[in-house]
Amino acid sequence: MRILVVEDEPKTGNYIKQGLTEAGFLVTLASNGLDGHHHAMTESFDVIILDVMLPDVEGWKILQSLREVGMQTPVLFLTARDSINDRVKGLELGADDYLVKPFAFVELLARVRNLLRRGSQSTVSEQVKISDLLVDIPSRKVSRAGKSITLSQKEFLLLELFIRRQGEVLPRSLITSEVWDMNFDSDTNVIDVAVRRLRAKIDDGHDHKLIHTIRGMGYKFEDEIEADEQL
Amino acid sequence: MNSYKLSTLSLTLRLMIFAGSAIGLSLIVSVVLVQESVKKHFSDQDLGELLVVTGSVERRLDSIDGNMRLAQEALSNAVSGHHGVYFRVDADTGEQLFLSQGGDFLYQLNDFDATKITDKTQLKNWQLDGGVYRGLVTEVSVDGKSYRVIAAMDMSFHKQFLDKFTVKMWLMMFAIGIITIGATWLGIYQGHRPLKMLSRQIRNIQTHQLDERLNPTLLPIELRNLAISFNQMLQHLEEDFERLSNFSADIAHELRTPLTNIITQTQVGLAQTRSLDECRELLYSNLEEHERLAKMVSEMLWLAQSDNNLIKPIFKVIDLNNEINELFEFFDALATERQINLTLEGDNVSIHTDRELLRRAFSNLLSNAIRHTPSGSTIQVTISQPEKNCVEIEFINSGEQIPSHHIKRVFDRFYRVVPSRSSDSEGAGLGLAITKAIIEAHNGQITVFSDSAHTVFRVRMPV
Repeated sequence: MRILVVEDEPKTGNYIKQGLTEAGFLVTLASNGLDGHHHAMTESFDVIILDVMLPDVEGWKILQSLREVGMQTPVLFLTARDSINDRVKGLELGADDYLVKPFAFVELLARVRNLLRRGSQSTVSEQVKISDLLVDIPSRKVSRAGKSITLSQKEFLLLELFIRRQGEVLPRSLITSEVWDMNFDSDTNVIDVAVRRLRAKIDDGHDHKLIHTIRGMGYKFEDEIEADEQL
Repeated sequence: MNSYKLSTLSLTLRLMIFAGSAIGLSLIVSVVLVQESVKKHFSDQDLGELLVVTGSVERRLDSIDGNMRLAQEALSNAVSGHHGVYFRVDADTGEQLFLSQGGDFLYQLNDFDATKITDKTQLKNWQLDGGVYRGLVTEVSVDGKSYRVIAAMDMSFHKQFLDKFTVKMWLMMFAIGIITIGATWLGIYQGHRPLKMLSRQIRNIQTHQLDERLNPTLLPIELRNLAISFNQMLQHLEEDFERLSNFSADIAHELRTPLTNIITQTQVGLAQTRSLDECRELLYSNLEEHERLAKMVSEMLWLAQSDNNLIKPIFKVIDLNNEINELFEFFDALATERQINLTLEGDNVSIHTDRELLRRAFSNLLSNAIRHTPSGSTIQVTISQPEKNCVEIEFINSGEQIPSHHIKRVFDRFYRVVPSRSSDSEGAGLGLAITKAIIEAHNGQITVFSDSAHTVFRVRMPV
């Protein structure tokens, strides 16, 4: 998976590059608009991360010219202003998602994965078995080690989200937005409590834990014992 | 355009134009009136004199008893004592009976019909050889005979007097005009002095002296309202300025604490060789502070945008009950863990609102309520419609009473009832400020009251 990052701030650019590289992507970093445009036109990428405030060419222009030549590569734009105008403008010009600076890297990673997954088929089949956890999605039946577990509607949605995005670190904001449709920085405690309650039902009494807290970043659902130690 | 020009015209000039025209006009009118009345007076006087002459002629004619030979002598004495008066007497046959000396010019009145009416309208004026004359033609009946008496007088003297008088009059009026206009200008200039003084006082008010006020009682009554309005503006400015200053100070304080933590722990961490776990611990701890900072910055940015009216709600019709229930679902886990009951009461109301913003506003209120409600109690949300076009949503919790001196400030930025920066769940103290900004962006109001039993946040919004 190849990602183009167009970001003029060297520190931000380099860290995004390092983070994405370590998450398994091939990253090209362009530090100005012209280079970025050139890379985008001449090479093939799966996602483009575009800072809209560039010193030479406005990010909007790059986005516009890419769309004008019919290039459909998903674009996620970074903006420093949380104004509706920017958001609307970006999405109208054909961007697929956006993040407001300062953002958390996990959030960026989650969004990038979202864009990559878009279009491809849902990886979740109707019946899922992870370790000894059995989930029947259409009938919303969950059992672990043969014991049936009763989940509330939101708890089930949370579990479903975890299963769909197994192995990914899910930031709290993403969970809030996907499960409860709340798209703002809300009381993060709520998510912690909700995950804790789900975990009590899923993991309590089992040595093999599935829901892992990634400190400072979010939660991860993974069938690996040493998962706590990894990103 | 014209009205703009007029409105920028100097006040002095404006007043001078008005006062000047009024004074000038009244002076001209009075000159004309005086002139007219002097003329009238003269013509009355002339008429009187001509009538006296005519009367005298009539009496003389009467005294001669029709003896025309005596007429010449009798009539020659008729005008003694009347200088510059000439007359001629014709018989009804047209024969001239008498012509006073120097009265040759009287032939000019021959064409006029004799009249018995003797008022001013019958006076004839004419000029001849540089002299100005005024005359009267009357018909006189004596002993059954009628005579035609033509009397006239030289009024060059009157004319000269009138001309001189007119010049004097105009000069006098001109002087009066100049003096009056000058006095008016002085008056206006003096009248503007309080305004200049006011302007000087206002100019001297600096940002650090916003507590200064103008004293309206020292000003003329017309300027008092201006001073009072200005004082009110100053009051608002002072409050806003103070709030802004406090806000800046608060920002600095709020930023300093996490920054101090980060710097201290990083320096302590670097002071010795640390194990990988210790380093990781340090990074985690830093991350938490950084996230807190980032959240604060984005909230402050949001508030700054709302201050500049950049937050534009995208209105949609939403179902209020549904919205509250979804928020309840969101807070369900947290509330259940704290053994707090969330209940909703009231009518089903659809309102025009920005869903995202409203959720954010209400979630702050709910999260706030959950934080301050003892476990085992209930948070009640009630929806009601006190009027047709507005809806009232109350968030009632049975938490501790908010002391009255705090209650005014709960919506202030960074304001916390418990002053120390509390540990985890509580944000930077911007939540309620954001809620208030959102409600106000929807043209609603939010109020709070608190007693020993309940604390109620009441939101009133247009439907």
